[in-house]
Formats: sequence, C-alpha cells, structure tokens
Amino acid sequence: MEKRIGLQQYGKHLWTRDRAKEIRSTVREELESLDGGDILVLDLAGVEVFDYSFANELFGKTLLSLANEFPGRFVVVENLTDYTRENLAKALESLGLAIAVRKRLKVELLGKVHPSDVDTFGALVASKEPLSATELSKQLDVNLTAMNERLTKLGNMGLVRREKAASMAGREQFRYKALR
Amino acid sequence: MEVPFSIASLRFHSILRRSFRSFSTFSEGHDTLTGEMTKLDSRTFDDWLEGQRPFDPKDPKLDLRGYGFITPAALVQLSALVYSLARPRVRPVVELDDDGVLSYLARAGFCATISPVAETWPRVNEAMYRQYRGSNPMLLEVTRIESCAALPKLLDKILVVLNQHLKYPKFDAYDIATVISEVTQNTFDHNCTTHGFLAMQVYGTRERFLEIGIADHGHGLTETLKRNPRNGSITSDSEAIKVATRLGTSEYDDQTRGTGLYHLVETTYKHQGLVQIRSGEAKVRYRMDRKQGWMFAVPEMSGVQIALNLPAKN
Repeated sequence: MEKRIGLQQYGKHLWTRDRAKEIRSTVREELESLDGGDILVLDLAGVEVFDYSFANELFGKTLLSLANEFPGRFVVVENLTDYTRENLAKALESLGLAIAVRKRLKVELLGKVHPSDVDTFGALVASKEPLSATELSKQLDVNLTAMNERLTKLGNMGLVRREKAASMAGREQFRYKALR
Repeated sequence: MEVPFSIASLRFHSILRRSFRSFSTFSEGHDTLTGEMTKLDSRTFDDWLEGQRPFDPKDPKLDLRGYGFITPAALVQLSALVYSLARPRVRPVVELDDDGVLSYLARAGFCATISPVAETWPRVNEAMYRQYRGSNPMLLEVTRIESCAALPKLLDKILVVLNQHLKYPKFDAYDIATVISEVTQNTFDHNCTTHGFLAMQVYGTRERFLEIGIADHGHGLTETLKRNPRNGSITSDSEAIKVATRLGTSEYDDQTRGTGLYHLVETTYKHQGLVQIRSGEAKVRYRMDRKQGWMFAVPEMSGVQIALNLPAKN
C-alpha cells in the first residue's frame, strides 16, 4: 500500500521548525496507519523552498524515528526541484541521514550516502525478490561481515526492510528489500 | 570547513575597512553615503555603547545626540538594549537632537517597537507615522518577533526586495531568506521571556546593498550553549561564537539542531556578503572575500545580535 502527503497544501514556502512539527504529526498518523512494506510518499510538488529547521524537523526527525517506531515502513520523497533537492541534500548531510527519492520509476538515495550505501541500495532496488546478506555479498563482491554492517546501517535509516525467511536448508535467515 | 579567526585590534579594523569594496566600506564605517554625518551601525555601535556605560538602573538614558544616520543593524541592537534595560516602572529614554533622525526612527518602526517599555526624547507622534508602515519597498521596519507566526510575511517581503531590487535570482534569494529564517527563529527558540527584532534596508542607487539586522536580548550564546553538557568547556563569549558556527552545536541535545549559524556564515560567504555575530562581550566580523573571521572584545550586552550586509547582483 502507498499513501501520499502533498506538502504544497501547507504552502509553497515552508518556513520554521514549528511549521514542520505540525506537519510531522500528520506524517506520524499516516505512518501508524501503514503496515510493514508500505510506503509513505512525501510529495513536494509545488514547494519552492524550505528552511533547514523545517527540513531537520520534518525529514530529519521522521527518518530518525522510522526504524524504531515504524519498522518496515518506507518513506520516499517525490517531485523535488533542483533547489529543494539541493536544500534537502544539505540538510540531510548535516544530520548524517539519507532518504529515498523517487523520480518516475527510478529510486535513489539523497543525503549523507557512502558509495557502498548506493551500491547496496541499488542492488536491492533492482532485485525483483528480497535478497539475503549472503546473496548480496556475492553479488557485490563484499565480505559477509561488511555486507551485514551495510544492511544494518541502511535498516537503521529506514531505507531497507528486513524480513524473516527460511534458507534452502530450512534455517531461519533474514532477507532484505528496498522500496521499488 | 571551519572559518579561521583572528583577534582584531581597532587599528587593524581601520585597515580592513579600506580594503573592501564600496558597499562594504559603507558597512565598515566609511561615510560614502552619509557624508559628514556620524553613523551608528553594527561597527560603531560598540564605541557608542562603551561611552554610554554605566547606565543608571533607575533612569537609563541612551544618548544618540550627534548621530545623523542609524542603520537597521544598529536599530535592532538599540531595540534589544532598550528592552534589556527596561524594568517595571523603569522606562529607558532614547535622546536625540536631529529631527530627521527622529523622523526616520519613527518611520522605521523603532519608536513603535520600544514604546511598550521606553520612549524617545523628544517624543514622537507615532499615529502620524503609522500610515507609512509598509509603504517603503526598500525598508522593512523594526519588527518585534515573539514567535514564528510573524516570519512568513517578513520573509516574503525580504524575498521581493532581494529579487526585485538587488537582482538576486530566485534561488539565491531563497538562500538568504533561509538563513534569515534560521537566525530569527533562534531569537525565540532559545529564549522564553525575551524578544527578537528584525529590520532591513536597501541602500545605494547605482551600487545597491542590503543590511539586515536581527537581535535579541536573551541569554546570549555562552549561557545558552552551556545548558548542553556537551558544550560545558566553553569559557568565554568569543569561544561561544566560534563554537556556535560549527555544525551540530546547539543548546539542545538533538541531532536535528545546531545548523543555523553554520549556514549563516556559509551562505554569506557564498554570496560575498559580510556578517557580524555579537554576543555578550565578543563579536566576530566575517570577511567573506577571504572567509575569515575577526574577533573583537566589546562592551557586555545581553543576547545575540546579527548584522548581515549583502551586495546587489550584477
């Protein structure tokens, strides 16, 4: 399931932390109504600018709370302009966070991202099925410990979802998926 | 990238003045626009303040006689000073001897802003000047800020000025409005019982520039930052200013805080402006053509005061 919040309804100029707090309560309500694997789209069509306090409060706090309070839900941003994209990137970089941005059928990361994050996330987005850490480590030629660290990091940022599954040998294992 | 600092002397300050472009020489105290008039701005304010102290706590007087030109940055600093001196049954008096200056202070909203707690001498008929509010597109009158409700309209006006009068492309204007929003929010985010003040004016005809002043009479950076145990090692106002412009430094132990002053310096540098951050007994002036800060010792004053000067875009 996918739900959408259009931020333009709050204005084309989104100023202040207090304004973001009001909107964040709506974001939380929507996230509470979603199940694991569902997506909340923050649609920035029509929004021309937001300040850093707004971005930090809305995007930053939403991302920081995602993994713990709304595990398995995805948050994605759409319809960024070049300017709001740059603004959001700067805000997230200064917070050490990243968010998924969807443009038509393509999904990519924006914010503080390491090339290894991009590779891992990209492999998951491209895969039709969830992948295990072992499968990813073979695909990307990365040792298993390092791959598990990558997946933990992306999971803590709410960018990938971990699901329980059974291996070929019948043992419990985790498989990972990103939003597509 | 952390901005390097130098400790400045007054003599070095005068050398700095001569090396700037015309808009910045205005900002730095030359009388390019004001001729022989004595100017009160973010630089000369502290010379003036030193000469005023100590204030009589029962009858504080702010003597502006002899000044013929007062900039927005000085207006908001004066507003903050007036409010910090005011007490129940103690109303500071701002003394003037120039009708033109008095008229300007009335039109610029200063008299109305201080009227709840202070007055000018001679007195001014504010009702007469109320009709002019908002009529000058180059002037954003001194506005008292108590919450974020006032900000969007003020920022919209600043955007219009930047875009239409200083020829800032839309996104450059957004850059500036964003940092003004950040700094202005600080005036009430970190202070519960005090106020912030904002004012702006465009100067010049052929070579235009803008001055924006944002001030509060709150607790200042040192006390505010030290509420967070992570900043416990701060021992001076100069150190507090330096630390406050680092990313992530905040009163609040909150990962999403502490970016405002960092972005203020970075954005001013990007647009080749000048910015001054003053708190307590220190101020730092950032020279953006070399991205360096010069630190000065100043007379103690409550709160934080910011002066931002920006050139027009060619």
